[in-house]
Amino acid sequence: MKTRAGFVLAGLLIFAFEATPSYGHQTHNARRATSNFVQLSQAAARAREANQDDVAIELYEKALALKPDWQEGLWYLGSLLYEKEQYAGSRDVLRRFVGSTTETGPSWALLGMSEFQTREYARALDHLQRALALGMGDRKEMIQSVSYFVAVLLTRFERYDESLNFMFRLIASGQEKDLLVEPLGLAALRFPVLPSEIPANRRELVRMAGEAAFTSQTPQYKDANKIFQAMVSAYPDEPGVHFLYGVYLLDSNPEEGSRELKKELEISPSHVPARLRLSAFYLQNQKLDEALALANEALKLDSHYPSARMTLGEVLVAKGDVSAGIKELETARAAQPAVLRVHWDLLRAYTAAGRAEDAKREKEQIEAISHSASPSGSEPSRDKAQ
Amino acid sequence: MPARLFSLAVLLIAVPIFAATLAGFEQISMQAEEAQKTDHLIEAIRLYQQGLHLKPAWSHGWWSLGSILYDLDRFPEAQRAFQHFVALSLKPGPGYAFLALCEYETRDYDHALQHFRMWGSKGWTGTSQLIDVGVFHFALLLTREGRFLPALYLLAGEVKKSHGGPALIEATGLASLRMQSVPEDYPSEQREAVWLAGKATIYAAVADFQRAEEYAHRLAVHYDETPNVHYFLGTLRKFESDDAGAAKEFERELQISPKHAAAMIELARLAKDENQQDKAVGLAKTAAELEPNNPEAHQIWGELLLQAGNLEESVRELESAKRLAPDSSTVRFQLAAAYRKLKRPQDAQREMAAFNLLKDKQQVMASPQEKLANHPELLR
Repeated sequence: MKTRAGFVLAGLLIFAFEATPSYGHQTHNARRATSNFVQLSQAAARAREANQDDVAIELYEKALALKPDWQEGLWYLGSLLYEKEQYAGSRDVLRRFVGSTTETGPSWALLGMSEFQTREYARALDHLQRALALGMGDRKEMIQSVSYFVAVLLTRFERYDESLNFMFRLIASGQEKDLLVEPLGLAALRFPVLPSEIPANRRELVRMAGEAAFTSQTPQYKDANKIFQAMVSAYPDEPGVHFLYGVYLLDSNPEEGSRELKKELEISPSHVPARLRLSAFYLQNQKLDEALALANEALKLDSHYPSARMTLGEVLVAKGDVSAGIKELETARAAQPAVLRVHWDLLRAYTAAGRAEDAKREKEQIEAISHSASPSGSEPSRDKAQ
Repeated sequence: MPARLFSLAVLLIAVPIFAATLAGFEQISMQAEEAQKTDHLIEAIRLYQQGLHLKPAWSHGWWSLGSILYDLDRFPEAQRAFQHFVALSLKPGPGYAFLALCEYETRDYDHALQHFRMWGSKGWTGTSQLIDVGVFHFALLLTREGRFLPALYLLAGEVKKSHGGPALIEATGLASLRMQSVPEDYPSEQREAVWLAGKATIYAAVADFQRAEEYAHRLAVHYDETPNVHYFLGTLRKFESDDAGAAKEFERELQISPKHAAAMIELARLAKDENQQDKAVGLAKTAAELEPNNPEAHQIWGELLLQAGNLEESVRELESAKRLAPDSSTVRFQLAAAYRKLKRPQDAQREMAAFNLLKDKQQVMASPQEKLANHPELLR
């Protein structure tokens, strides 16, 4: 997706730019430089207002050579270079700008989008998330672009669950489908490529997965079934397909859903989330030995997977090994302190173990997290690029 | 005499000015350090620049300025600061690493590689974090230069330390598929193949062969006709000690890429192990003809000739290999054996001495000169 910076320019004067410098106590050379700077900066502004972008860029560059920390000049030059698709140039100028100004969302956004275009994806994600955390006012188009880039980058960094949760929040806040179909499809299939990197022979699969995932998040969620069925039928051997359909079915037809998850494990034997979903399914159905085996396998495959210890803890508690379960759940809580389900699990486990004080603390934590949760909140700023 | 008086007058005036400047410099340098310590980085940059204006030979100032600019991702400016630092400092070691990292970021790849090597010549000094970042970028540049095996050797070391994050997967994938690119510039349609190859290699590096095969299978399904994919699968099978499977993949690679010298060399090695001498010689010879500057081609050909008792020709090939890779202990060992058989004891002794010096120095970051330090005669 190409974005343009034009929308950014309208809201530029949010920065407190420096006043024209005083001429007192200056040497002849300094006075001449200042005079040149004033002339150049005024000419640059005139050229920019007259849409003479190339001329404006040249004049801003000359003015900045005389006064390298001129914030207004850095911002306009960075914006103009971005608009001219000179992304390396805009990136370098904006890096000077963000360091020398009060932190603002739009400047981090434009820097992150420049870095996306120069394929510095880790930095781009970091800076775009910073933009979201700082906020971009009412610049809807900019927020939309930044959100899109964040979603696709989280997927490219194999942070599929974060990407999906982020996009589900966008859907809940009314984001249109067209923009999100491919990013959703990629995250749902756990396919770490950008939309521009989708192989031609899988684009249709990605689109089907995205359409179905989107529909599953709307009031018409039952319509997703048809799309999922068509996807499974067209791509029965592709990794991720049966997992996606299985997860969808777990709500409406758990038995069928579990069969799909098992098919996924035949195609992708090391699929950790498929194991965890299946483990949770067995736990619900009191097949505790099967649940335990799958949870242990998942943890062995990926000890860092966010919900692996939580699932194992839940199964252990259900099997009556409360102290071992609490140990796993406490490890899960340390890794993901904001996940409510872990706190609920621990509340129940502490209560079962007669640890009233610990249970009380968990209850307080649950209330605190519930109060702080923002219904349409952006991704927390602690989410740094890997 | 008037001229001397004039000089004296100038000196008398200049001393107080110089003293004032020096006092100003001391104050500015202290303020700069304080600003840096208290995280007022933009102010620190301004102060360091002021201090450096007064005292351009202040190497610590260039180091600090470069470090701050590097932390702020202002790489072109940081690059200039580190250029000054390495020119002025008596101990420029880590400065070369930072300079190379800045040059990588400004996409001045040739200079980056050159400065990483200069960092190497100073002993790869710096914090463990700098060494990790430096080694990773050095490996990226080796891949770009077409030195895939040394790059993979370095990246495998990083995998064991860091469990393999997305950047490492991508870097490993590029080297595994023999793509002379950096992550920022390879064709976007290759992204999936690079990711799959990277995943397979990383799991193989930690001996999780089941998962390595899972990703390798996906690679084979979707990229069956893509050059280098079957070569990579062959190396993976060989790593897993599946020689028959490896041979099949190398053969398949040669169907897709008939001039793939690396696949020929691997097949020659496998044929040698199977005692298929003629096949092995044919493959090695063709590989050496296709890539006259490939030391491995000359080495395997020389080794086969040695086995066949064709001593003069063997020495010719092994000497070519030595010229191209003077730090290969294998070549030196085989050359020593060939000289012995040719009744050239002095040459054999020299090569064994080189072998003994090199055999425990497999690290790829050191240059042949470093590995054979104090023994320049062994490089000849």
